[in-house]
Amino acid sequence: MYFKLNPECYLIMGRSQGAIFDLIKEEIYPLYAKEARFIASCEKNLPVCGDEDLLKRLKQLCLGNFYLNKSYVQKLRVGTPLTDEQEIGNPPELYRVFLEINNLCNRDCWFCGYQGAKRSMGCMGCNKWRCHGEPLPADKWMKLIDELKYLACRDLYISGGDLTLVWDKTMDILNYAKGKFINIYVKLHEQSLSENVMNDLKGKAKAIIQTDNPYCTQYGDSIVLLTAKPENWKEFSNFIGKNVLVDFVVDKVNALPSESPLISKDKMSANMYTFLNNIKYHPCLGHTLVVCYDGNVIPCPMMRDHCLGNVANGGLYSIFRGEEVEKFWRLTLDKIDKCKSCEFRYACTDCRSLEESLTGKFDGKQSCNYDPMGGKWL
Amino acid sequence: MLEFETRKNMYAWDDEVGLFVPFSQTMRAVMNRISSPELSSRESLIDNLKEDFKEEDIAFCYDWIKKWNEILPQNRHIKIPQDFSESVVREFVLKYCLIQLTLNVTEDCNFRCRYCIYSDQYKNTRCHSKSYMSSDIAMKAIDRYFSLLEDGKWYNPSRKPSIGFYGGEPLLNFDLIKNAVEHIEGTYNDFSVNYNMTTNGSLMNTEKAEWLMQHGFKLSISLDGPKEEHNRNRIYSSGKGTFDDVMKNVTLIMDSGYKKIDSIAVLDWRSDLFKLEEFFNREDVPPLSRASLVSDIGGCRYYEQFSKEEKLAFQRQFEDAKERYLEILSDQKERERPSFFDVLFSRGARNTIYGPVSICEYPQIKPYTATCIPGRKIFVDVYGKFHICERVPETFPIGDIGEGLSFKKISETLSKFFQNMDKCPDCKIKRECFKCFALLMTKEGFLTTSKACEAVEIPRIKAFAEALAIAEISPKVVEQLSPYYENVKKHYGV
Repeated sequence: MYFKLNPECYLIMGRSQGAIFDLIKEEIYPLYAKEARFIASCEKNLPVCGDEDLLKRLKQLCLGNFYLNKSYVQKLRVGTPLTDEQEIGNPPELYRVFLEINNLCNRDCWFCGYQGAKRSMGCMGCNKWRCHGEPLPADKWMKLIDELKYLACRDLYISGGDLTLVWDKTMDILNYAKGKFINIYVKLHEQSLSENVMNDLKGKAKAIIQTDNPYCTQYGDSIVLLTAKPENWKEFSNFIGKNVLVDFVVDKVNALPSESPLISKDKMSANMYTFLNNIKYHPCLGHTLVVCYDGNVIPCPMMRDHCLGNVANGGLYSIFRGEEVEKFWRLTLDKIDKCKSCEFRYACTDCRSLEESLTGKFDGKQSCNYDPMGGKWL
Repeated sequence: MLEFETRKNMYAWDDEVGLFVPFSQTMRAVMNRISSPELSSRESLIDNLKEDFKEEDIAFCYDWIKKWNEILPQNRHIKIPQDFSESVVREFVLKYCLIQLTLNVTEDCNFRCRYCIYSDQYKNTRCHSKSYMSSDIAMKAIDRYFSLLEDGKWYNPSRKPSIGFYGGEPLLNFDLIKNAVEHIEGTYNDFSVNYNMTTNGSLMNTEKAEWLMQHGFKLSISLDGPKEEHNRNRIYSSGKGTFDDVMKNVTLIMDSGYKKIDSIAVLDWRSDLFKLEEFFNREDVPPLSRASLVSDIGGCRYYEQFSKEEKLAFQRQFEDAKERYLEILSDQKERERPSFFDVLFSRGARNTIYGPVSICEYPQIKPYTATCIPGRKIFVDVYGKFHICERVPETFPIGDIGEGLSFKKISETLSKFFQNMDKCPDCKIKRECFKCFALLMTKEGFLTTSKACEAVEIPRIKAFAEALAIAEISPKVVEQLSPYYENVKKHYGV
């Protein structure tokens, strides 16, 4: 007698534990070390006894079945015949691009990148940076938008600085981008908002409103990015909901409450598309690029020290000809020191910018409450 | 779902999801009943079937089918596409195509292989001639290709251009090859270009070999096996065998340690498969990359020479070889170079199981078959006309060196192709289809799929069963090169 997991169920082994991921039901079933090793041996087609309680339970849960003979169960995959038939030389799959069209801001926010704040979702907010250089003119941004359209980029994020200081330029660029992407987002500080600004965006882009005020006004379908200190978690957690994201400024990981979604098991998802994507790509850096106001291209809005090239005098295509983009996109959690020991690595998220700033290492990891060796959430 | 069996298990091919799934008698019974209103509940179904099947098996199948239905595509019926505008075709070609320019540098060949697709054994393909491509045509074709790549870089910056040299025997026009490469390296040094050549190897000498290696050519040598096997079909026009000359020249390259060289073997019903296995394991022979039977496309008459007994004897030998291969497969360690049997049996299994992509929407421009879209490769004949590939009749060019690649002609060719897909919407192996222009095109036009695929499901089911039988014995053989499995398995050896 043999036992195999179903096509939709992946067994992933950590260094000591394991877990089964049901990619249709989006359920995760953690396994103790002994159980995981046993299921791994089943997946290797080693014979089993038909009355094993664990296996009977898995069958009841519709995760796997018994077979009289050695069988082969192909695992569910996702993709497109255009890109999967030949991996090499296919066009890059660009999901989101951030265009930082200016770096001007008159505010002095405590959570700004200018202050060196270590933010868990700083990429979604506005920031200004300690750098010099001329911002690219509007027509250059339009050329880049054309190029992003050719590359079939899905989502566009337009950010500053304070975009309202260059609102005419912002609107010129936004009007040009309208209709070329699935979603367009414009990042604005709460204090820069006005009815006029929101009216200008109507039908063209969604606003992401940067604030540290939990009672910030939410306009229409805008998204609020609520920046908070870890000690305020309890107060702020009540506001998490539809279209409200909480961004932590983290100096020390141990300041975070254990139930914070940044470090707790809440960060995991067994969604078929993200899980299978994460086997090949970094969960956040994959399919992402940022063009800074001076034309520098970086992998993440918060990872300023990693420059992939400059497009001030060239096109984005030149960035993809090098191997640097792949280095970031293909940084699966198999390559992150702690994560590679973890059975949840393909169901997890990872803010590389935050981890790098907390650990000083490109592949370091601090903000996770799971101990993959002991199999415990702390 | 399309059911089939290996010797040990039942499986089904789910064409909607694009995956092989385990199957059973219970699954079939549940599947047949689950959509009837009076048996739609789990309990009523168990009650209905419990005399014939175990209750826990019925419950499992019910739960699994319900779960599986959640991922079935919403729109199950793909319409046959009609026309595509030139602009749609252009964008598609610039984004996904242009992977290789193949220059047919000569139609001349110093061999007269008995099965050659350019011999009179095939009525839909051209014949040997003394025609050679001129330098002017080659340069113009190259300039056209790089001009397309220049436009295409905005759509696909990751593409690595490739230039293939083809014939006849390409080394008969070696000076042209040298000029072409020098032109590319002098003019288009922005691009990192791969070169490849399929050659019979007989005209290779030290000077040519060194030049080809210096420019990083991927060399594919047509080599059908040991001397008696090779010489049976691969002969000079005088009738003399070519093996000794080919091996002497191949040794020049093998001895240098050059790695970008492989063999391509062609079999027929008189091939001795066991001798081929032994031969292609030799270290002095380039590793085998492809082994296939003499093609029976394009009005082939080659097989008319064989008796029924010869055909049956070959089939027996094939089964015998496969049986022996399967016997040792589970103990087989990973090898640096594949054996002849690996290529013959496992590579097809891998393509069958991992060729299709599950859970995907097929693009409108490529709704059914596995065909390339014209423009994926550009085959340039000696006169400067552009064709879909080297295997299609030359009556449907898609451009030439004067006008360049014609998106209008591609669009028209696609329309004609789609008009003949009459069977495709109801086909149960759409995602496993391997029909392409080369298989559906004749000199006069296209075969309808109802004609070309009349009994396509039966041999495919056999191929499915063979592929799964290999996978049952050695999963790693079929899972190689799959990034999913490589990543999942490289840690802690699941």
